[in-house]
Amino acid sequence: MAKKYDLDDSSVVVVIGSGAGGGTVANELAQKGIDVVCLEAGSRLTLADVVNDPPAMDAKMGWHDKRIGATLLICKTVGGTTMRWSGVTPRIQDHEFRSLSTYGQLDNGTTFIDWPLTLTELEPYYDKAELKMGVSGTQGIQPSAETNNYKVLKAGATRVGYKEISSARMAINPVARDGRPGCQQISFCHSGCAIGAKWSTLYTEVPAAEASGHFELRANAMAVRINHDKEGRVNGVVYKDENGAMQEQKARAICVAGNVVETARILLNSESSMFPQGLANSSGQVGRNYMRHTFGLAFAVMPKPVNYHRGARQTGLLLDEQINNPQRGFVGGYQLQPAAADPWFTSHLIGGWGRDHTVFTDNYTRLAGIFITGEDPPEAGNQISLHATERDAQGLPVPDDEYKNHSNTNAMRNHAIKASRRIYESLGATDFWGGDASMGCHNMGVARMSENPDDGVTNRWGQAHDIKNLFVSDGSLFSSSAAGNPTLTIVALAIRQADHIAERMSQKEL
Amino acid sequence: MSDSQTTRRRFLLAALAFSTVAVTGSTWLRGAAAWASSTDGTTLARFGRLLFPHDGLSDEVYADVMNNVLMALASNPDTENLLAAAEHALDAQQDTAWIERDESEQIAAIEKIPREACFAAILGTLRGALYYSPALWSHINYPGSSKEHGGYKFRGFDDIDWLPENS
Repeated sequence: MAKKYDLDDSSVVVVIGSGAGGGTVANELAQKGIDVVCLEAGSRLTLADVVNDPPAMDAKMGWHDKRIGATLLICKTVGGTTMRWSGVTPRIQDHEFRSLSTYGQLDNGTTFIDWPLTLTELEPYYDKAELKMGVSGTQGIQPSAETNNYKVLKAGATRVGYKEISSARMAINPVARDGRPGCQQISFCHSGCAIGAKWSTLYTEVPAAEASGHFELRANAMAVRINHDKEGRVNGVVYKDENGAMQEQKARAICVAGNVVETARILLNSESSMFPQGLANSSGQVGRNYMRHTFGLAFAVMPKPVNYHRGARQTGLLLDEQINNPQRGFVGGYQLQPAAADPWFTSHLIGGWGRDHTVFTDNYTRLAGIFITGEDPPEAGNQISLHATERDAQGLPVPDDEYKNHSNTNAMRNHAIKASRRIYESLGATDFWGGDASMGCHNMGVARMSENPDDGVTNRWGQAHDIKNLFVSDGSLFSSSAAGNPTLTIVALAIRQADHIAERMSQKEL
Repeated sequence: MSDSQTTRRRFLLAALAFSTVAVTGSTWLRGAAAWASSTDGTTLARFGRLLFPHDGLSDEVYADVMNNVLMALASNPDTENLLAAAEHALDAQQDTAWIERDESEQIAAIEKIPREACFAAILGTLRGALYYSPALWSHINYPGSSKEHGGYKFRGFDDIDWLPENS
């Protein structure tokens, strides 16, 4: 049963955020009998609240607090961005964990480091994450059904000689499993799955944690600051409750999982006389090395109907280009993933106006589409910082998100767009658009794991180098971006972190 | 305001917010703010059509959509005069009224509208109004919400039949 904990109960672990990282680490701890209070800034929706109406759902679950920078599709709702994500769940490859060793430092100020852990070390946790999330084509689960848009990509990719394409690695049930139904190909995945076939912590980790009897979810509780004691150990989280009153929940340990932007903000906003640069920031690395992936899109008008709006927004991936071959003109690799969008989002992504634009939107039923995601070099200057004077409606400093594409990223995107064009033109595409949509949906870095405390914010367990009872549990931990979608790795790291926290507690170290 | 109008307005405002357009401090806009639109909607409808030309859509659809854009922009003091200002800018470029010119001249005039302050907000709002409009959806055969129909699992999500064999 769901529990209630007193504000002054300092035996609880406080988890900030209920998405992929926060929801998972909270549930894993609760299953081990560790008491957890989870603070979620947003409200708790039910499946009945999910409608096939993207603007209405964005109003219900999007993060709309003031922020400076490009559109980032993060969510303020129980379940966090697992409500909006596509469900694509590739593993990071071995060479991608060894990013500095593989790529070396590039011109123009990259700050690559190797991850302080290896693929071999993370593999058992990838297995657990795939079982937890029900990832198609893994762990004895069948691959996802092939949508029209997937079939177009597969046919074209095969024609031009690509080999590694499959409809696997989706955290969307192909058939009923684990109390959730199979996918009905509803097509509004990005606005919340109306039937719960797509994995979201809203209806998996959160209720499982509540059933453990060691977990309390506080929705509409916006964490604003982390406090610490005289010894420099964190001991409480100040939050604004559902009535707008400020409260402080005492804590034995704290896990921060605010989808990178909010993780950086709360660490930086928790400065004190002992930690004048913000918490866990003696290295000056909090907020730095912010990565979004090489982000790109390709759309083509095919000779006959595709109807890409029918079915899951994304299904499957093409992995042939996820290699490191600097002869292509860039280091690192990328994936091509079939992706669809409703008419407005299609128009928004393509941008522009006039007949060059409507040749795509007017031929909506003949469109095929690709989402490009690839390695994005970390750079110290790509960062989330606090604006000096601007305050949001909560009175908090506004996050200032500075991000520019590295020349390696631009070269990679151009290569991926050419590859996409070749794929579609091999099937007789009549018009093609490829580009960068100047937005982001994968946020990584800003509290990265590092062997050397000078290079990052957290150690190989996501534990702050400076403060041993402070943990980061979201994509902020990524030492480098790797090519693929981050959520599976976030979940694997969160499961592993919960094991570590439980072990340190049993040794009386926390 | 009817329920459907309220819904539509909410759509537009959400789309406007999503586009993260910022419209402040344009001297160009302030200068034009006093100028009131005197058109019957023909100019606005033509403006909308040239921004997103769908030949199968009637002038009435564009007029209706631009009216929604007008309504959405009017709800924010930073944007309320944008369309009037844009019309003014289009007409002011030549002696001939913009609506009287030929298509290539009309497009050239649109290209001269200041990008940052004005055009991004109008374009973003129009994008929301047009691409969420039932008339446009019907024109491009987009059916909208699918959950009440059980999704597309049994309605053609994998029905493509023209791809080459053995690929």
